[in-house]
Amino acid sequence: MTKNIISSRKQEVPLQDDTSNIFLQVMVCIAVFLSGVALAGVLAVNAMLNSWNESILGALTVQIMPVVESNKDAGLAETLRQQSKAVEFLKQWPGVISADPLSDKDLKHLIQPWLGDGIEVSDLPVPRLIDVKIKKDVPIDFANLSVSLAKVAPLASIDNHKIWLDKLVKFADSLRLLAFVVLVLVIVVTSGAIFYCTQTSLGLHRYVIEILHLMGAKDTYVAQQYARKASFLGFMGGVYGLVLAVPTIFIVSGFAKQIEGGIISETSLSLTDWGIVGSLPFFSAIMAMLTAYYTVKHTLIRYM
Amino acid sequence: MIKNVGDVDSVISMQNVGIRYGQGAEVLSDVNLILKRGSFHFLTGKSGAGKTSLLSMMYLSQKASRGIVKIFGRNVSYADRDSLALLRRKIGVVFQDFRLLDHMSSFDNVALPLRVCGMDEREVRKRVTELLRWVELDQKINEPTSTLSGGEKQRVAIARAVINRPEILLADEPTGNVDSDIAHKLMKLFVELNKLGTTVVIATHSERLITDFPYPRLHLQNGGLKIYRPIVEKKIGRGTYD
Repeated sequence: MTKNIISSRKQEVPLQDDTSNIFLQVMVCIAVFLSGVALAGVLAVNAMLNSWNESILGALTVQIMPVVESNKDAGLAETLRQQSKAVEFLKQWPGVISADPLSDKDLKHLIQPWLGDGIEVSDLPVPRLIDVKIKKDVPIDFANLSVSLAKVAPLASIDNHKIWLDKLVKFADSLRLLAFVVLVLVIVVTSGAIFYCTQTSLGLHRYVIEILHLMGAKDTYVAQQYARKASFLGFMGGVYGLVLAVPTIFIVSGFAKQIEGGIISETSLSLTDWGIVGSLPFFSAIMAMLTAYYTVKHTLIRYM
Repeated sequence: MIKNVGDVDSVISMQNVGIRYGQGAEVLSDVNLILKRGSFHFLTGKSGAGKTSLLSMMYLSQKASRGIVKIFGRNVSYADRDSLALLRRKIGVVFQDFRLLDHMSSFDNVALPLRVCGMDEREVRKRVTELLRWVELDQKINEPTSTLSGGEKQRVAIARAVINRPEILLADEPTGNVDSDIAHKLMKLFVELNKLGTTVVIATHSERLITDFPYPRLHLQNGGLKIYRPIVEKKIGRGTYD
């Protein structure tokens, strides 16, 4: 089918002079730019969710609430004592690979985005955290672990990340839906623009097309010429759009990295993801080609 | 001359054909006609008599408002678009207003009927170059037709009409813009094509042409069609009509 569309040799319909060519390229450029950014967003969110899922399957966090006393040092000492007991207890639990308390430096790094520089963790009543790595293939009874842990360290509580991950998954699903709607709108609007540009051009070149028909040309012959031109314009517009989209993706990705804090940490695209984004000009070329081809076939029925 | 529509030898047949534009009166009415394979006819009539309308039905640009039109035995009212395109490939047309593609060269204009058939480009080049040389336009082979004189354009239009060795050749005033030498040469080309089996219909106002080439005449008058046969005066090689 595609081979049939692009097989013709000579361009008798003078489409290269159409003023709508620039409009079409600009439309496709904008479409590919928006699609590229939206697609990169979806792929990044997917990568982020996969990464979170992977890390959550093999990890949990234990939180030790701070002991608040009039004597700050005594409170801190009690908190750290419970943390040590909890670490020792967790290391004995079946399926646990490691249990490492987060250092003051790590805690400071985590709360820095909210409280800024120049803070001392030991001065603040912040919870202490233990990063626990668990075997992915050993099922852990979290309820039992929680009860047992509370006996050793009453201030400890387990967070297996499921609740907030579920919320993030819902948020990511909304983002994906939004991106999908953007993509559909972009495709519909671009196809519509190609449809009307092609129809306008057919009216403009009616004289030439009628001569081609009189010489025995089938509608397919004319449609091939439009499809060839549209695919070229679609591809070039797509390349321009991609050239604009790539730095935009890097800039947005840079912004995302600035708000790290452990929330958005895996926003970079894989090579495959870049391949998908990079294929957009080919997709836009094929879309423009097919839209132009079928518009011509559909419209010429009304001609001689 | 007039037989049942569908005669096996007929390449064009019309039965009770009428044509009108919009809500106006019929330009042609009750036209009955059979053109046999290999026949040669002139088409005459005053301006506005319907010559171009009759020709346009023959080259499948215009549909009859009523009646039956068959080309190569095929009722064109029931033919789909692709079938009409294939029928048109067997018909060469010389238009009164040339209908050349002025953004293209003489070569590309003449090559058009071959290219739409998908002919190999080497064969296209060979045939087109040869024919343009024959119509004495080999010096202007690569020039856009917009730069050619009226006579040169007409020769390009004729070359385009015959390049495909059509089974039917329809010409609307084909010698109107050329001098008498070229006109004679072109008419001889039409006659040669006719001898090779091409059915020829030439619309003309030229009494000289009709006299010099004694072929039957289809005459349009008051929307109807009459057919006159030539009485050949063999000694001087000229014809008159009954």
